[in-house]
Amino acid sequence: MNAVLIAIVVVPIAVTILTWWTPLHLSRALTIASGIATFVLALTLVPAATSHGFLAAGPALRADALSIVFVVPTAFLYLTTAIFAAGYLHLPEGTAGRRYARRFYAGLNLFCWAMVVAPLVNGLALLWVAIEVTTVVSALLVAIDDTDGATEAAWKYVLIASLGLGIALLATIVMYYAGTKVFGSSYNLSYPALLAGAHRFPPDAVRLADILAVIGFGTKMGLVPVHTWLPDAHSEAPTPISALLSGALLATSFYAILRFFQVSMRALGPTFPRNVLLAFGLASLLLAALYLLSQRDLKRLLAYSSVEHMGILAIGMSFSAPLAIVGVLLHVIAHGAAKGTAFFGAGSVVRKFLTKDLLRIRGGIALLPWSGTMLVLAVLALSGMPPFGIFRSEFLIVSGGLSDPHDAVAAILVVLVTLAFFGLSWFTTETMVTPAPPRLVATLGRGETSWFIVVAMVLGLAGLVVLGVHVPGQLSVLLHHAATELEVTR
Amino acid sequence: MSEAGLAPPAIQALQDLTILVGAPLVSGVIAHVEGRIQGRRGPRILQPYYDLAKLFRKETIVPEDSSWVFLVGPIVAFGCYLIVPLLIPVLTTYGLPLGYMGDILGGGFVLALAGFAVSITSAESGAPYAQLGASRAMTFGALIEPTILFVVFAVAIITATDLPYALAATVRSSASEIVRPAHILAAIAFFLVVLADTGRIPVETHSGTLEFGMIDEGRVLEHSGAPYALLKWGSAMKQLILYTILIDVFVAPWGLAGDRQPGAVVLAIPALIGKACLLGCVFAVIDNSFSKLRLFKITEFLAAAFLLAALAVLVYYLGGG
Amino acid sequence: MAHPAPSTFTGAADVIAVLVLLSEFAMLRAPLLRSQVRLYAFQSLVVTVLAIVVAATRHIDELYVLAAVSFVLKVVVVPRIVLRLLSRAEVSLAGSSAYGVATMTLIAIAVSIFGFFSIGALHLHSTALPSTALAISVAVVLVSFVLIILRSDVVSQAVGFFSLENGVSVASLVVASGLPLIVDVAFLFDLLVAVVVFGVLMRVHQGRTNTLSTDPLDQLKG
Repeated sequence: MNAVLIAIVVVPIAVTILTWWTPLHLSRALTIASGIATFVLALTLVPAATSHGFLAAGPALRADALSIVFVVPTAFLYLTTAIFAAGYLHLPEGTAGRRYARRFYAGLNLFCWAMVVAPLVNGLALLWVAIEVTTVVSALLVAIDDTDGATEAAWKYVLIASLGLGIALLATIVMYYAGTKVFGSSYNLSYPALLAGAHRFPPDAVRLADILAVIGFGTKMGLVPVHTWLPDAHSEAPTPISALLSGALLATSFYAILRFFQVSMRALGPTFPRNVLLAFGLASLLLAALYLLSQRDLKRLLAYSSVEHMGILAIGMSFSAPLAIVGVLLHVIAHGAAKGTAFFGAGSVVRKFLTKDLLRIRGGIALLPWSGTMLVLAVLALSGMPPFGIFRSEFLIVSGGLSDPHDAVAAILVVLVTLAFFGLSWFTTETMVTPAPPRLVATLGRGETSWFIVVAMVLGLAGLVVLGVHVPGQLSVLLHHAATELEVTR
Repeated sequence: MSEAGLAPPAIQALQDLTILVGAPLVSGVIAHVEGRIQGRRGPRILQPYYDLAKLFRKETIVPEDSSWVFLVGPIVAFGCYLIVPLLIPVLTTYGLPLGYMGDILGGGFVLALAGFAVSITSAESGAPYAQLGASRAMTFGALIEPTILFVVFAVAIITATDLPYALAATVRSSASEIVRPAHILAAIAFFLVVLADTGRIPVETHSGTLEFGMIDEGRVLEHSGAPYALLKWGSAMKQLILYTILIDVFVAPWGLAGDRQPGAVVLAIPALIGKACLLGCVFAVIDNSFSKLRLFKITEFLAAAFLLAALAVLVYYLGGG
Repeated sequence: MAHPAPSTFTGAADVIAVLVLLSEFAMLRAPLLRSQVRLYAFQSLVVTVLAIVVAATRHIDELYVLAAVSFVLKVVVVPRIVLRLLSRAEVSLAGSSAYGVATMTLIAIAVSIFGFFSIGALHLHSTALPSTALAISVAVVLVSFVLIILRSDVVSQAVGFFSLENGVSVASLVVASGLPLIVDVAFLFDLLVAVVVFGVLMRVHQGRTNTLSTDPLDQLKG
């Protein structure tokens, strides 16, 4: 539906412009409303995409099944983060507070707009531009807290991510060059043209473009070894932004890699693109699992968990069974919900205990009955426990992997995920489940800091349970369509 | 062999004579121009000849502890500088009989031998500044050699031979040869090497006696009389030889005699000397525009020259340029 | 083994491309941050000239517009922004680096050789510019990495990133000269926005730590 596509692109940017001028309460409400609207529009796109094959609005916007798979979790996180931010932000009075609020909300809306638009644009060039916009906006948002750590994290982030995007630009140009052999020297990089002509592209150029794209966009996705900015940026940013970074931005960068993957599959056959992703995925999963065992900072722990899950995604894409691809796409959605909820819980804990240091937080569930319990549930979800969505998606990936010639990889994946579970569960038991020391109870008191946070977490967990127990019919069809699109090879 | 025109041995001898006689002239022109740039009247252009004549008449004083090497070294160096013009295109575009004795690498070796001889005799003298100059010259020579090698490689792979005559012919053949990046980079690299080897700013102060910065000039401090005259003449000849290689092989190989007509050959002499003087003026301008580099920064300068030479080879070999 | 000489156009274009690489090497050496920025302006100028050369010989009129826009942005605006930041920062204006200049030059040469070899192995041909220029652009990208890794002050790192974008521009001139103008301009404006962000973060960094060096940026570990 043209109208829905246009609406979903216009609403967040309009709200961005509005929140620059409106006072805090109005900005809050507008952002939540925008989140609801975007999510509803995204859900409307689901059946439309599967029945029509793809939707278009002008030459620049195009939504096929793969795009919608990525728009849905981003829109969902937009909604829940908006609710969470309403309860999380503690602003100083006066002009400083107003300035922070304006920059925060305008930035939040602009960031979400860019992440929603990126899967919907038609063409590799526009995709690059959209992801560059996300980098730029998120770098400013990481630095918004104006602490030493935030400045350092923002500098590292913007430098490494920009370098990665420079490489990704080179990848785009090399892919363009590959296309000139088929399309002549002037054409735009729209997906239908690329996918149709890809089997005639010169293989050397496509190989170079694929590797450069994985390295370049991999810096933004958090693939080892170019992930070094990720733990810093995700832990030093304000928590709502961390949730968006981990849950949505990594997925959007993965989408970019998938588009290059699609073209490479048609041009080169399945072996090369899959092996590239396998290599990076294994490295990411291994490193993240090891680092998870030694974390002291709550948000850094969750950041490494994101690296772990990105590794799982990359490894999943390297399996040839369609079941695994469906699992990967489901994992994108489920991980977004789970990571968002986990960060919301982390934010609630930080608000309550006024520290991120894991060694000083004790008795989480006792002091935060709702958000503490839900944080534990979210972390269990991240480790792959039923009945949450990630269990289903990881199950699909592993079973697909076991029927693949590379079945040893599936076994390694299970081992490493278990290792990561140890790391996460140590944190959970140490901080949340232990009884509260009386001193802390006396100073901090029991009770939630804000009911907005609770509502956001309930929404996230509800989504996870839905995905875990029974994936809605339309969504399942969407996932299968998208998987089919990714499986086409020469 | 046609009988019209000069016999090849005569032309060969003429090449040597040109370098021999023209070298002090070029030095004189450079010194004069430098003086003019600095706002002085500058020494007269023929001054080096008078200096050489005077030096040959003076007595030779030898340090007590030195051996026969002290006196033989300048002669060896001078002899080497007389051999090299036989190998490179000085006046003609075609190879002369003795010219095939050695290729561009051979010419390089003979020049290195000359430098070695000069360093040995200055080390022989036992004087501190002379030895300092000698050791510095050897050190920087070791850094210059890779650059020269790469320049030679660039020449060799462009023409698939390393006879300097062949490269000159290639450069003359079309404009595209001049602008190809391998050629330009190699030429600039060689220009920097010449600058370093002839002891010009920014590597060394050519005039005056700043002992702390002396490299080439310091080596001849202890000599006097006829050996000193031979050393000075030899260094002027080395300068002209390097200029000749730069001009006749890389930059401006026009004006060389195409056949053995005496008119053409004789005309080639002032053409060469004129071009060398022009090049010398360029060096004089550089001399007065920059300041001398501190000794440890000379490695950066030489690294830059090496970079250009390496790029010349890379761009050609891997890029077809 | 001797290749025939390329045409005059090819040779001239190659020389201009080599100038881009040489200015990248010069940035490795430049001790003053101001001279780094000026070298970047020079490099952008050379890239603009290259764009005009391609536009003139291959009759691609859109490239003239692109050359004009990139001249304004990369030669005038971006250096102006960075120089203004430098003049406001009342701190020492000399960059620092882990190794000496000669070592860094040798590392950069080794890296360029790797770049040349990898592109040479790929046999990519184009009609707009000789494939030497593509190898040179990849070498520029790799040397800018060396610059970013080995120099330890924010301005050098930012200028390194900008020069990486110059390298990618040369690559796009070689293999993608027909890229639609809209796309090229979009890339350029994205670069401008990135520059603004870099500028903001540099100012914030300098405001907090009172220095342009990246040595204080080592708190977050593990």
